[in-house]
Amino acid sequence: MSGSEIIDYAVLIPLLPFLAFPVILFLGRLFNGTPTWVKNVKEGGIIALVAMGASLILALSLIKEHMNKVGAANVFTWFESSWWNPETGSITTKVFGFGVYIDHLTVMLLFVAAFLCFLINIFSIGYMNTDPINDNRNHRFYAEFVLFCSGMLGMVLADSFLWLFIFWELMGLCSYLLIGFYYERPSAAYAAKKAFLTTRVGDVFLVIGLVMLWNLFDGTLDYDVLFNAENIAAVDSGELQLALGMMFIGAVGKSAQFPLHVWLPDAMEGPTPVSALIHAATMVNAGLYLVARMFPFFGAAEMGALSTLAIAIAIIGGITAVMAALIAFVQMDLKKVLAYSTMSQLAYIFTGLGSALWLANNGYDDLAAFAMGASLFHLFNHAMAKGMLFMASGSVIHEMHHAHHEVAHHGHDDHHDDHHDDHFDAQSMENMGGLASRMPITATAMFVGSMSIIGIPLIGGFWSKEGIIASAWKVALKEPIFLLPAMLVLIGAGMTGFYMSRMWFMTFAGKPKTEVAEHVHEQTPWIPIPLVVLTFMTLGAIIFAGMHAGHWLGDFESGHYTSFVDGIGYEMEHVFLNHDPFLMILTYVAIGLSLVLGPSFAMALYGGSLDGNQKAKPWMQWAINLSAKINKRSNFDNSAWANSSLANSLHKRLHFDDVYDAAMMKIVVGFAKLSAIFDTRFIDGVIKTIESTSQEASRRLRALTTGSARDYIMMTALGTLVIFMLLWGVA
Amino acid sequence: MGSNQALDIKNKEFMLIGGLLIIVAGLMAFFPSLNESDTTVDWISLPLVGFPIIVSCILLAFASQESRARKEVLAVPIRLFTLVASMIPLAISTALFFDWLILVDWDLMYNEYALEKEYVWIETIGVSWHVGMDGLSFPMVWLTTFLVPITIITTWNEKDGATYHPLLLMMGGALIGVFVALDLFLFYVFWELTLIPMFFLILKWGGKDRRYAAQKFFIYTFCASVIMLLGLITLYFLQPEGSGAQYGTVTGRTFDMTVLFSNATAYNMGDNVFLGKDMQNVLFAMLMIGFLVKLPAVPFHTWLPDAHVQAPTGGSMLLAGVMLKMGAYGMLRIPIAIFPDAVVYYQDVIMAIGLISLVWGAIVCLGQTNLKKMVAYSSVSHMGVILLGIASMQPIGYAAALFMMFAHGIISPMLFAVCGAFKHHYHSMEIGAMRGMAKWSPYLAVYMMFAWMASLGLPLLAGFVAELMVMIAFWPEYGWWILLPGAVLAITAAYYLWSMQRTIFEGGDEGQPPESLNGETPPDITLSENIGMIILAIFTVIFGIFPFIALGMMDQWTVAFFEGVFNMGGI
Repeated sequence: MSGSEIIDYAVLIPLLPFLAFPVILFLGRLFNGTPTWVKNVKEGGIIALVAMGASLILALSLIKEHMNKVGAANVFTWFESSWWNPETGSITTKVFGFGVYIDHLTVMLLFVAAFLCFLINIFSIGYMNTDPINDNRNHRFYAEFVLFCSGMLGMVLADSFLWLFIFWELMGLCSYLLIGFYYERPSAAYAAKKAFLTTRVGDVFLVIGLVMLWNLFDGTLDYDVLFNAENIAAVDSGELQLALGMMFIGAVGKSAQFPLHVWLPDAMEGPTPVSALIHAATMVNAGLYLVARMFPFFGAAEMGALSTLAIAIAIIGGITAVMAALIAFVQMDLKKVLAYSTMSQLAYIFTGLGSALWLANNGYDDLAAFAMGASLFHLFNHAMAKGMLFMASGSVIHEMHHAHHEVAHHGHDDHHDDHHDDHFDAQSMENMGGLASRMPITATAMFVGSMSIIGIPLIGGFWSKEGIIASAWKVALKEPIFLLPAMLVLIGAGMTGFYMSRMWFMTFAGKPKTEVAEHVHEQTPWIPIPLVVLTFMTLGAIIFAGMHAGHWLGDFESGHYTSFVDGIGYEMEHVFLNHDPFLMILTYVAIGLSLVLGPSFAMALYGGSLDGNQKAKPWMQWAINLSAKINKRSNFDNSAWANSSLANSLHKRLHFDDVYDAAMMKIVVGFAKLSAIFDTRFIDGVIKTIESTSQEASRRLRALTTGSARDYIMMTALGTLVIFMLLWGVA
Repeated sequence: MGSNQALDIKNKEFMLIGGLLIIVAGLMAFFPSLNESDTTVDWISLPLVGFPIIVSCILLAFASQESRARKEVLAVPIRLFTLVASMIPLAISTALFFDWLILVDWDLMYNEYALEKEYVWIETIGVSWHVGMDGLSFPMVWLTTFLVPITIITTWNEKDGATYHPLLLMMGGALIGVFVALDLFLFYVFWELTLIPMFFLILKWGGKDRRYAAQKFFIYTFCASVIMLLGLITLYFLQPEGSGAQYGTVTGRTFDMTVLFSNATAYNMGDNVFLGKDMQNVLFAMLMIGFLVKLPAVPFHTWLPDAHVQAPTGGSMLLAGVMLKMGAYGMLRIPIAIFPDAVVYYQDVIMAIGLISLVWGAIVCLGQTNLKKMVAYSSVSHMGVILLGIASMQPIGYAAALFMMFAHGIISPMLFAVCGAFKHHYHSMEIGAMRGMAKWSPYLAVYMMFAWMASLGLPLLAGFVAELMVMIAFWPEYGWWILLPGAVLAITAAYYLWSMQRTIFEGGDEGQPPESLNGETPPDITLSENIGMIILAIFTVIFGIFPFIALGMMDQWTVAFFEGVFNMGGI
């Protein structure tokens, strides 16, 4: 290797934001409140932006260089420790190092992470710095924000599962801090704790899995050793499956899958940029990334030996997809709908990955590559769309706040009342309606984002979602138990169509439901930039379809579908004119469910035309008109369903949170309190008894102190005798 | 204006101090060295051990003769002087690590020691003043020299500073003495010497029940040391007689550890067992009881919460930071080194005690309502990790135990500093007495968050590496029992996060100042607390990101230890 290559500088990508963290924190502490700091530096926002921009540029050049090339660079030795091998009896040194590893998966996720971190940073400057509640604490936000970005970028670039885990935990910390950003709110404090603890449960299993893996592979967690086919073939596949299964539980926690999903909806307590970045676009993908990283194991291990795990992954995905979609049906909080939608879409990706892993483990390499591509492509589409949706929802909430402030001032003419009315919920869709004409950019972004998530043909998520459903069914045809996840994701497609449409129509169509909604304007600077960028990104996602078609999938040598045009052609043909009639029917069923059935139900329930004088942009107006028509025609009455016990338990999130809370507070904490009492009463009690007994004994022994010289001489003589006898005995 | 009076120290007293110093130094010089040809400077005896103890003795003797009013005045210069004095050992130990003073060869084989020095002490029974350092003791020595000034700074405003701070200094000297001693007699002397300053720290500066706590602490650990002493004396008499400079002229036996180690190691080679299998097991158990109480391990742990809750902040910091590690250090230094067969015999027992300490400590933590008690029990839990490392019988497990001792030695003083500041400013230790601390005391809130996170094993902070290494070493030997330490990871997070939820967070827009403040505005921490804690935080990060600084030496030691003691690997 001559000269320096870009990969030698790759470590700067996570390092720059990492260094920006203390800088922002300390400068913030020093300059808080000064005009330059507030106006020009945006309370640290600009420093963060510079760091993220530099990281993005570096990341892009790295991606350009390594588009078709695996790369690795060893950065430093973290520490060394020794291992005694009982079989050979030798002690060897094991190295725990840190380095950078780049392949197709890294490239894709690196782009997603760096790009979205940068865009959401722009959004944050608009969102955070114009809300008085954040004054003088934004430096904390930006510091934690860059620390998070550092964790995400580091996790993607790390060359071993060990460092993946380290950055994974770093992200968990930032997630905790940012959810609890408004620390004075008990709900935020509770949500932060819940998020950290729930993911921690998963992390424990992840650590155990890593420990098992470390032992299986003779003392290393580096990708280049672990992904070596010979090494994989040499280990016991039963143990390997256990280790990977343990790691998968960690992924379940981080990506908020059933049954460790309870933290994600509560995590919406954080500021909206946080929800967009951490709880939609990047951190929750960490679990998917971890599972996707396991792909080589499935390809190289004994055929069929890891199938159980692949099936488990797909089933967990299927269950979560439907469960989250169901709960999303009844949510009124704009961000909560999106949170459940995130959960559901991540579950799709898990199902896709499960299919890919099953196919890889059973020797269907081409199909596996396709399924893997589809899953990763969905990850990409979902990150872009969901990041955008959250930012758009943030825009709505932000403007609702402003409008509410305005209304409160004019309406009551009460100048003392500077506080927000506590009863007004700016996030509830029941207070919105008719915003399509008032917030054209936001509404468009939300429109395109929703279509991408639903899988409306030709837009973003459509391509990848079809791929996932098709892959799941392909496996189901070979392995009957896979019918369960395959059915679930198919049903889920229709459900997605319903809840996403419901969200959009409730928010943007119909008449404004409150006075506040009438006064909403799109006025905050910085916010529209990322929305516009991501709208085009989502619309044009087909350009990246090459990734779907196997190009990004490690098949670097053969390199088919290297050109975008090829990829698009392959994609079109595969989706619409599949030569397998079963799959073709399946595609059209899925389209029917997601395009027709789901949205029409939503329109029938929540559709409606705007106020008479209001007009939305033409690309949304037709949908509003259509919804009004359907709504009028159908006269759909859903009160029976809305009052059903299922709807009730959906409102209660299917009781998971209650049960977990009760188990934690009643059983675990109760047991702990009892233990604490046992500790002081019993364990310490024994000691105290010994102590009081000995005091009593010494009180009695004191009687020996007679003061008579004769007694003392007697005792001395006796004692000496005993000592001599003892000495003889020993000798 | 107080400073003029403060500096009004009479010439007579200066002469007293100087004279005493010269006398002690002279006495040290007159100790005949065992090795005549060894003319190198002794960097351990006086600079690291003697100096702090002597200085503190002089200061204490000096201050205790003064009237109450003058003690107040004298507190300032004495504090300053103590701080400066405590920096000297730190400077020396740091310089020794970086080879700034002399070239120290840390690349040692088993039973080899750097800067070794031996002086005749009690010839008749084979006691010598024998000191030296290796990869096991040096990190602990450095840690002690590091923590003493930090503790002095953090508790700068403690009342009766004229006697309080010298006691901390004496504590440091005694602790270093334990770590550098290479003679069983000397070891035991320092071991008991550490009790004295701690006893007075608790008794004089402690909380409401300080009298009970101090007595319990003293008697409990003293009883354990007596069992240990019996074990040591039995070992002394049972060892084969020999002749040489180290052997007693009357008894024909020696207290010298290095001689004992080399005899034991030589004897243990092959199928032989030093002193016989049964005697090994008995002696091992006796010694271990002394060390397990000090560690402390469940069920011998109940002195710890009482001592911690009652002890002043500085006492707690040194108690948790270094004193508990004396137990772990003692185990590795004496019984495990001399009785390797007994270690194998008791392996499962050690593992069980470790697991019980780990799990029980964590569960009891979750049930605590007192912040300091919770932190105290968390120490019990963390010390269990050390036992797991020892029971794993892997070099990586031993290195983990060593690193755990070191990392916990940096993190736990911070935990107790936070508790101390909490008590100091809010006059309460109850979790939940103060909510929304982030609003009133942002610095304290940040340090609390940091220390709590470090203690629950967040990666890139010092505590994580040791936990990871223990888990790695644990799995091949004990398999699915690993779920228990795993569960403890989650429980640890639970009690720490739950306590943070009720202190740092919540409180509403206005915050909720505790009733114990009687309506005053809750203050933030003082400058001295701030300085102390930020230094601890910085070092937590340094050893978290660059663990190899300390681990290199520890790894080297474990390999040598396994080759020498367990006869594994190279030989």
